Amino acid sequence: MANARALDKRRKSIRNIKKITRTMELIATARFKKAMDRASAATDYTQRITAVVADLARAGLEVSHPLLEARETHESGTVLVLSANRGLCGGYNGNVIRAALNRRIEMQEDFNEVRTEVVGKRGNSGFRFRDIAVDESFVDEDGVSYIEDDPEFATIDKIADRYLREFASGKLDRLDVTYTKFISSSRQEAIVETLLPLGELEGADTPVDEEGVSDGESLYEFVPNAKSILDEVVPTSFKVKLFKCFLDAAVSEHISRMVAMKNATENANEMIKDLSRTYNRARQSQITGEIMEVIGGVEALEG
Amino acid sequence: MSLQIVVVTPEKTTLDQKVDAVTVPMFDGELGVLRGHAPLIGRMGPGELRTTRGGDVSRFYVDGGFVQILNDVVSVLTGRTVPVEEIDLDAARQELETAERQQASNVELMDLKRKAIAQAKAQIRMVENGS
Repeated sequence: MANARALDKRRKSIRNIKKITRTMELIATARFKKAMDRASAATDYTQRITAVVADLARAGLEVSHPLLEARETHESGTVLVLSANRGLCGGYNGNVIRAALNRRIEMQEDFNEVRTEVVGKRGNSGFRFRDIAVDESFVDEDGVSYIEDDPEFATIDKIADRYLREFASGKLDRLDVTYTKFISSSRQEAIVETLLPLGELEGADTPVDEEGVSDGESLYEFVPNAKSILDEVVPTSFKVKLFKCFLDAAVSEHISRMVAMKNATENANEMIKDLSRTYNRARQSQITGEIMEVIGGVEALEG
Repeated sequence: MSLQIVVVTPEKTTLDQKVDAVTVPMFDGELGVLRGHAPLIGRMGPGELRTTRGGDVSRFYVDGGFVQILNDVVSVLTGRTVPVEEIDLDAARQELETAERQQASNVELMDLKRKAIAQAKAQIRMVENGS
C-alpha cells in the first residue's frame, strides 16, 4: 500500500492546481463576455453597411467593383492565420494551424507564390516548429505580438489598408483568412474564408425597385452619386469583415479556454476524489498495522 | 426634438440621442440636417460632426465614412470618432508630419497619403478653431 503521507502531498498539490484552473476559468468567462459584447456591437455596423448596399442595389446600381471580382492571374496568394497569444485553450490553436496548413498546400498548387502571415504567438511557434517560414508575424521591435485578443479597429484598419494596397497594385491575387468561427457557445470551428476578392457583397442581390427606377428617382438622394458611394462601401466592408474575423477569433479563444479550464477543474476534482479514497485506505491499513504490532507486543510480553 | 442621431463605429455605437439639428461633414463640405430632411445616402469626409440640442452644441471629429438619413434618423457610419475635447493635438501634428513625408509613388499610395493628410488637418483645424 502506498505511503499515506506521499498521497496526501499529491492531493494537496492537485488542490492547488485546481484553484489555479478554476480562477483561469473565471477569468476566461469574464473575458469571453467582454469579447462577445464587442462582437455584437460590431454586428450593428455590419447590418447598417448591408442596408446601404441593399439600398444602392434597389436604386438600380449594378454592384461591381474590382475588389469583388476574381482574378485571372494566379501570381501570389496570402494565407492569414489568426491564432492566440496564449495556450491552455484546448484544441483552439492546433485546429487553426491545421486548417491553415491544408489551405496553404492547396494554394501552393494554384499560385506561384504563397505568403504565410500569422497573428499570435502560438501560431508563430507552431509554424516555426514545422519549419515553415512566416512572412509576417505582426510583432513589434521586441518580438511581442501587437495584436491582443481585444484588437482595436484602428490596428486592423492599417493591416486591411495594406492588403487593399497590395491587391490594387496586383501584388496580391487572393487573401485567405484562417480563423475560428464562433457558431454557438458550444460550437466553434476553424475555417478558411476568402476575403479578397470579396466575391458577393451582402445585400447586393436585393431586387431592383422597378417603379422607383423607371420614375428616374429612388427613395434616396445619393451624394455625390451611387457609384462613388459604392466605391467607398466595398473597401469598408472588406475592413469590417476582416475586423469581424479578429473579433470572432477572440470570442472563440476565450470560450475554448473556458471549456478547457472547466474540464481541467473537473478532472482535478475527480483526481482528488480518487486520491482521497486511496489515502484513506492507506491510512486505515497503516493504523491496523500499528494496532497489530501493539497487540503482538503485548501478547509477547504476557506470554 | 424628433431628430435622432446614431453614430456607429465597427467597435461600438458611440452616440444615440435625440437632437434638434445635426451638421455632417460631407466629402465636399458641410451638410446641415433638420427634422423632415429628405432620405439621403452620402459619403463623408474627415471633419467635424456637430449636434445641437436645446442650444447646446456638441462637436465630434469623424474619420469619414457614410451618412444615411431616413425617417428623421441620421445614421453616421465611420471608422473612428472622438469628441473635440479628446483630440490629441500633438498626435495629430505628428500624423500630419509623417503623412507629408510619406513617399507616394503610385495612385493608390497618393490617395492614402491625401487621406491621411486630410484627416490630420481636420483634427488640427477643429482644435485650433474650436470654442
